[in-house]
Amino acid sequence: MGVIDLDGVEVRLANRTVLDNLTGELRGQAIGLLGPNGAGKSTLINTLLGFHLPSKGKASVFGLDAHKDRAQIRGSIGFMPENDSFIGNMSGVRFVRYMAELSGLPSRIALERAHEALFYVGLGEVRYRKVNTYSLGMKQLVKLAQALAHGPKLLILDEPTNGLDPVARQRMIQLIKDIRQEGSIRLLISSHLLRDIDETCDEVLILKNGRIASLCNIEEERRSNRSFIELETVGATERFSVSIRGLGCECAIFPGGRIKLVIPDNIEARDLYVIAADQGVQIRRMNQRRDSLEDIFLRAMDNEQGRTANGSL
Amino acid sequence: MAVYKRNYTAYTGTVTPVWTRVLVLARYAFEEAWSSKITVGLFIFCLLPCILSLLVIYIVDNPVARALIGGRGPETLAIDARFFLKVLATQSWLALVLASWIAPRMITLDLADNALPILLSHPISRFGYVFGKFIALFGSLSLVTWLPCLLLFVFQGYSSSQPWAMSNLQIAFGLLAGSVIWIAFLSLLGLALSSWVKWRVMATGVIFAAVFVPAGIGAIVSAVLRTKWGLLLNVPVMMSNLWQRLLGAPAPFDERFSVPTLAIAVMLSLAVLVCAGMLNKRIRAREVVRG
Repeated sequence: MGVIDLDGVEVRLANRTVLDNLTGELRGQAIGLLGPNGAGKSTLINTLLGFHLPSKGKASVFGLDAHKDRAQIRGSIGFMPENDSFIGNMSGVRFVRYMAELSGLPSRIALERAHEALFYVGLGEVRYRKVNTYSLGMKQLVKLAQALAHGPKLLILDEPTNGLDPVARQRMIQLIKDIRQEGSIRLLISSHLLRDIDETCDEVLILKNGRIASLCNIEEERRSNRSFIELETVGATERFSVSIRGLGCECAIFPGGRIKLVIPDNIEARDLYVIAADQGVQIRRMNQRRDSLEDIFLRAMDNEQGRTANGSL
Repeated sequence: MAVYKRNYTAYTGTVTPVWTRVLVLARYAFEEAWSSKITVGLFIFCLLPCILSLLVIYIVDNPVARALIGGRGPETLAIDARFFLKVLATQSWLALVLASWIAPRMITLDLADNALPILLSHPISRFGYVFGKFIALFGSLSLVTWLPCLLLFVFQGYSSSQPWAMSNLQIAFGLLAGSVIWIAFLSLLGLALSSWVKWRVMATGVIFAAVFVPAGIGAIVSAVLRTKWGLLLNVPVMMSNLWQRLLGAPAPFDERFSVPTLAIAVMLSLAVLVCAGMLNKRIRAREVVRG
């Protein structure tokens, strides 16, 4: 059983299909939900929270039906919405306590955990201030604190770094990493910022136009994608390329002595220098890179475009 | 997640039953409403007529006190259904004042800060949310309607020299039923209108308007169509009719202002349905994307 199971989920809002036949099983410790604006990320989250009833298919969270068992699911979820969502007239600690009590914590324990959660996210010193006096970064953190206070099994963060300055963003990312490391909480992080997902998640679901463009384990995907090397050489480039092909590399030669290589795992850059030295070829520049999440994302977007184009043909 | 350790630990303790979450909402709404000094001031103001009525009952039932004010007897100051009708009507209209102040505090603050997505992402339904707020508002209005009215009834029963209470039980029933119908209607109306108006002061005005403006329209309808059915839009007249019948008091108006009880019940039911529809439309965990 995965954390989230999607079985042909279709959600229609205002006569428009917002989520279209989503099928997949998400099992990661931290799952990233990526996609351009309007891809359906927030709608998927709202569906998982039971706010939208799928017109077709079924969505499950921890094996429970997202609509029928929504009360049970909501009890084990902590949700941090994308936009401002709080009760500004309340102090931070009172707001977090209120939310914890709504999740089922007894009043006294809710107060204790509210204090602890606010200290944990770094709002301990301002916990008695009214929430509407907080800065944007603090408001994001108080939303995180209320999502954490009752000890959820799944933490859903919708654009957690939205509107944060670089320092606040780094702080938020570090908190998410700490929570992930602690291990008792699964995370579902929705973002359109690849870097946030790259830094925090081990699995990613990429949505485009309400459809799944890609669902993959980021680490496995990176491992399966080989290293690319771009070289700028001077000398007998042709002969050099024949030699490195002999090592098992795939390579393409471009004008100006530029060579692009895909090298197998057992070959290192040092081996290329050795061959170049033997053949009197100068390597003027070497640029080595692995597939980033950006590559995975762009490939998914391309595939989806291709699929749409084929579909329309 | 100890404060001094500043690390996260999961919660492994017991959780409260799901049905009690409504009471959590009600408690926080009640605390929010009563955290304002204006609410406390209004509450004291609302109790002044009750204190006056208490004094009247004391004077009527106490020969020494009666002698002190000139020996006027129970004939001029009778404690009967008519007396309690006046008390109930006074308290009910003061409850409207209190409701128009409290109801917007309960919902508009949540809506203004877009708190519904967070609130409803917890194990609480939309009905549970409205019901929790309803309990808080109904409870607050109870403090100035049926509770003091019944206390006055008990005091009259205690201080009367005749066995008064048992022979006037219909008054007690009327006070309770009349108050409960009115404050339940007011609570629902207050919550429904507050959910559509984000500005609190405006919401207060709209609640008053919703009670009195239809009365004016009803009067125009009655005058133009030469009928009395326009009175069905006149909440004060409708409620006065209902209270009078529930208490068994003589009619305060002549026959021209009398409306059948069934018609009143139908109108109140329709108003309740409209309020429920308004709440259903508005109380949703929809994110409002600004800008």
